[in-house]
Formats: sequence, structure tokens, C-alpha cells
Amino acid sequence: MRAYGIMVVLLAMTALTMPPAAAQQVGTATAVNPLSEGTPPGTATAPLTVGARIIHKEHIHTTPTGTVQLAFLDKSTLSIAPNTSIVINDFVYDPNSGKGHMLTTLTQGALRFVGGALSHAGEASIATPAAAVGIRGGTVTIVIDQHGVHIINQFGIITIHNGAGTTVLNRPGFEVTVLSWNTPPGQPERVTLAEIDHLLALLTSKPWEYGGVLGLHTVDIGACGVLGLRSNNCPNTPWVPTDTGLNNANQIITQGTQFGTGTTAPPPRYPGR
Amino acid sequence: MQVELRRAVWRRFAGVLAPIALLVLSTLLASAQTPSDFTGNFSPLYQGLLSRPSDLTNTLQYAAAASADDIESAIGTYEQLLFYNPTLSRVRFELGVLYFRLGSYEMARSYLQSALQMHDITPDLSERAQDLIEIADKKLQVDQFTGYVQTGLAYQTNPGAGPGAQTALASGRTFNSNFFSRPDWNWFGAFGLNYVHDFENQNGDTFEASAVGYDAQEFRLHQFDVGVLEFRAGPRFGIPTGDPKTSLSIKPYLVATGALLADAPYYGGLGGGLTLHTNLGNVALDPYAEIVQQSFRNSSFYPLASGLSGTLSTYGLQASGPVVSSLSWQSRLGFGHASDHYGPYSYDVYAADLWLPWNFSFPGDGRVWTLIPSAGVSRWLYAAPDPNIDPTKTPRTTEWRVGLGLEIPLWRHLVLGTLVQYRADQSNIPAFTMHDLSVSAGPTFKF
Repeated sequence: MRAYGIMVVLLAMTALTMPPAAAQQVGTATAVNPLSEGTPPGTATAPLTVGARIIHKEHIHTTPTGTVQLAFLDKSTLSIAPNTSIVINDFVYDPNSGKGHMLTTLTQGALRFVGGALSHAGEASIATPAAAVGIRGGTVTIVIDQHGVHIINQFGIITIHNGAGTTVLNRPGFEVTVLSWNTPPGQPERVTLAEIDHLLALLTSKPWEYGGVLGLHTVDIGACGVLGLRSNNCPNTPWVPTDTGLNNANQIITQGTQFGTGTTAPPPRYPGR
Repeated sequence: MQVELRRAVWRRFAGVLAPIALLVLSTLLASAQTPSDFTGNFSPLYQGLLSRPSDLTNTLQYAAAASADDIESAIGTYEQLLFYNPTLSRVRFELGVLYFRLGSYEMARSYLQSALQMHDITPDLSERAQDLIEIADKKLQVDQFTGYVQTGLAYQTNPGAGPGAQTALASGRTFNSNFFSRPDWNWFGAFGLNYVHDFENQNGDTFEASAVGYDAQEFRLHQFDVGVLEFRAGPRFGIPTGDPKTSLSIKPYLVATGALLADAPYYGGLGGGLTLHTNLGNVALDPYAEIVQQSFRNSSFYPLASGLSGTLSTYGLQASGPVVSSLSWQSRLGFGHASDHYGPYSYDVYAADLWLPWNFSFPGDGRVWTLIPSAGVSRWLYAAPDPNIDPTKTPRTTEWRVGLGLEIPLWRHLVLGTLVQYRADQSNIPAFTMHDLSVSAGPTFKF
């Protein structure tokens, strides 16, 4: 009986000490332009501020002027455009093993997902009204507008699946448009530069905004290859050798000299001379 | 009785241990995702980014550190900084380079183009951004052309790779004195042209073609006037790997070559090959196998050249990757087997070459200089003694070569290309032992 008593007490302690899944922090709001709001499960909607904890199953909503960037425990980020609604449905991540999974629902607006440990393992997905988007890699921008859901691959392998079929984007710079859950995903098409320019402007601050953090006037970053000011961020454009023809010519000449030229026989020896 | 007692004790302990285990487990699970546990496997900088995102020093340090090997995390962090100040050209430039490194050229282009529009952009950053935009623009074309055209002067101590004067042949015959080692100057011209047609499918299938040409006219020793032309073309088929960081493709190709020597038709070759491209992390690997039917033609200077005709098979591996920052490496390992009409000319050759191109700039100047040290060795093993040269010894030659190239930026696509090369051949046949120092320089237009 005593053992059972201990068990009951410990179970009660467990229940008290274990935070509900909904209260688990999965990330942080790293940049916020007003008005952007968060609704953690079971609590009231409140304006987001920089440094705000993002909670499992939290609903994030931006107004026509609001933009947000969220950074998650697995190092992935979400940049959220104005007039957007998302829910962090599921986020499980063990930083020691790097394992877990992530599911976000986008119901309205646009976002850019930049991958972290979970998407590198193919364990990140974004649900939209027209398709489920599986991300391996990867970096993807998703836009919902009156023409459907546009999924733009910026890096990685993006699997677009709905009730009518599946399409895979393997190459950066291609997009697929999906009209509805029961319409097959369209064929991949090259995204236009104008579309990318528009989305870059949409998914960050306007020139007069500061994302909730004032004071960033300059940045001091070493430049790639600059003597004395080294940087890790080098484009590594491949060096193209210009001596291929020279090397071919050298080999031809060497073989010609050694074998092609002919030698002269020694003069005949005559007896008595 | 004893067994019953053990079971009772076990039940009691189990009753206590189970909830304790549950408590520990639940605490661990919960703590895996609470802010206090950002310490798990997180770097202190990333921990700081999550807990104090407005700490700009910490965020910048994390972005710079992540740029080395976690491109996406660096992107996320620079995009965070862009939220704080969207008018910083330098942040936009860094994002452009990061997307460029991912192969996301349309994103790279857009960020770089927007960097150019910022008021704070410096001339050197502007030049760097424009250079990358040009490359990104090409990568986004369905039909892509790249290449170079070069001309210049070269001085060689031994352009014919001949032996020293008075070198005696063991056969008792006399080596043609026109081919003894002598210095000369030459004018040379060279070009390389690469064409890629992108079929724009999700496998990344392309059609690729390349042409390389070289012509050198000696000032005095016209027996070494040489012109070489080589074409290669074939489709490249992408093979999905399921891993965005691992690429795989295969390319069958045709190769056609031709050469003039001493201003007369000398050599023609036709063949084909198969090459694979993949990468292991940052290292690109291109193994290949190629077979070419070679045809040499006799001429007044080279009356025995036709004996070199035959089949040349080569097998090799080209590889490249970064070393650190803007220093990279390229290498080639190869084996060749030539089966020639005249038996003694047949050979096996083993070759290894290494290049270490290093891009650098001077502070305040966006122009990129490239220094290219290189070294290589080949071991030539011929099939049989040549009675005309030495009837008793089968030639065995080791060729050593070292070089130092420097590409000096002049204006936009124009660079001054300079190259110093030293080559030494050591052979068991004195007539095949030689050395040559060459120095060349000339303007090079790269596009």
C-alpha cells in the first residue's frame, strides 16, 4: 500500500512539473513589425514583440502592416508577410540527436521557410489549403493568393502533395501553382525575377521599419579574399584554367620530338679507313 | 518461498521506480524544448540569438560563424538583420552570396541587385555585386556561354622538349639536331568556349559542348609551330539523389581533336567517353573514361609520326573543393594506355596534377586577383625498346612540372594572365631527359 501511495504522489508531481505540450517554447520572435499577434493555446491574443517565446500550437497572425521573423530551436526560420495566418501545429526537436519533426499550417498570406536541422532530415512540412508541402533541405517560399497556392523552391527537394497528385521540385528557381486540394499540382515553371523581387520586399521590413530593434546602422563583416579582412562567405566561383590547349600542345610536341623526327644512321665504315 | 519474496520486493521497487522513471523522462522531454535548455547542443551564439535576439553583436557573430558551413542558418540570421535595417547594402550582399552558394541564383541576383540600389554601397562592394550578378544571370539562361580568349608572348628555354646538344643515342644513330634544346620566343593565342543548354526539367538535364584552341608561332624554331583544336559535346543526365546537397549526373560525350605541327597537318583524333559528376560534401568529383582513335601524319620535319597512330584510352578523376575562405583546390589523377601502330611507341602513363587557385583582393578594391600555384607529375612507361634510339632499354620517363600563374585584373572582364612553368623530364634514355622553363604573359578576356 505504501508503494502505491508513493506512486500516486509521484504521478501527481509528474503532472504538476511537466509543462503541457502547448506551453513548450519552440522558438523566438526575432524580428517584429507591428502589428503582429500571437495566440498561444488557451490564452488571449497579444501583440508580438522581439524576444517573445513562440509556443507549440501558437497561432501567429499579421495585419496588413505586420511582418515577423521566427527562429526555431532547430535553427530554421520563418519570415512571415503581412496579412498572413499560420499555426505551429507540431514542433518536436531533440537538440542532442537532431531528430524530431515540424508541421506548420499556412492558411492565408505568404511566408519563407529557411531550413534547419529538421528539414535537413526531411522532417519539416507546411500544410496549405491546396497542398501539403514537404521540405528536404531547404528553403521555400509559399504564397496564397486568388490564383491558388504558389510554392517556390529556393533550395532543396520540395514535395507537393494533395488529393489529386504529387509533384517534386528538385531545382532552385522553380515554382508550382496548386489551385485546390482536388486539383493536381501544376507543372514546375521557372519563377520570374520580378516575382522574386516582389517577395523579397514583402518578406522583410519596409525602409522605414526596424523589426523591433533599433540601432543597426552599419555592419562590420570581413570580405571574402580581402587581405587582412577575411570572411567565411565566399562565392567560390570556379577558376577556369586557360592552359588546357597549351598542355595538349606540349604533349604533341614532346612526342613529336622524341619519336616522330627520325634519326640518322651512322656513316658506313669502310675497311681500311 | 525465496522466489515469492524476490517477486514481492521487485513489485515494490517497480512500483516506486516506474513513476520516478516517468518523472525523469517527462522532465527530460519537457526540458528538451524549454528555453532553459537552449544549452543542449546549441552553440552559445545561437543560444544567445534565441534568448536575446536584439543583441546585435551576438547576432552578427553568429551569422559570420554560420556562413562557413551552415549556409541556411546564416541566411536566416542575415534576414533577421535585414528586418532591423533593410537599407544595409552589406547585409543584402552577404545574403546574395549565401544564396549564390546554394545555387539559388534568382534569389542571389535579387539580393545583389537590391544591394546596388542602397545608398551606402561602396565602389568595391558594387563591383563585387555586379560580377556575381553577371554570373547569376548566365546561370539563369537556358543557353549559357562562358569562356576566354587569350593572346600573348612566351619565352621558353626548350620549346621542343628536346635533349641537350651532343646527346648521343645508344643505337649509334644521330639525333636530329633540329630538335636539340634551344630557347625561343613565341606568340600564342588561346581560347576556350563552353556552352550549356538547360532543358529546364527537374532532373537538371543539359546538353554541354566545349571547344579549346591553342596556337603558337615560334620566332625562329618553326618546327615547333603548333596549333591544336579540341571539341567535346554530349548530353548530361541528372540523376535525383533524394539529398539536395548531393548531386549526381552522367554524361556520355564525343571528342574530336586536330593539330598542326610545323605548319603541316599532323594529328587527328576521334573518340568518345563517359563522365560522372557527383559531390561528397564540398568536394566535386568527376571520374571519366575516354577512348580516342589517333591518327598521326608524316611530314618533312616529322617523317616517323605515323607510327604514333593508334588507340589512346584514358581513365581518370578530376576533383575540386574549397580549402579555406577563398582558397580552393583542383586536381586530376589519370591513367592512359596508348596502343600504337609502331609497337615501341605504345605506352602507359600515370599522371597527377594539383592546382591551388587563390582569389584575393586588396582592401578598398573589389577587383579579384587570382594566384594559381600548381604541380604535377607523370610517369611514362613505354612498351619496348626503340631500336633507333636504344635497342636495349625500354624508355621510362618521369615528368615533373611546377607552375605559378597570376591573373591580374585590368578592367571588368579583362585580366593580364601570367604563367611561369618549369618542367623536368628524367629518363633512362638520355635523349628523353630534358628541362624547360617557360614564361608567358598576355591579356585574357573572360566571359
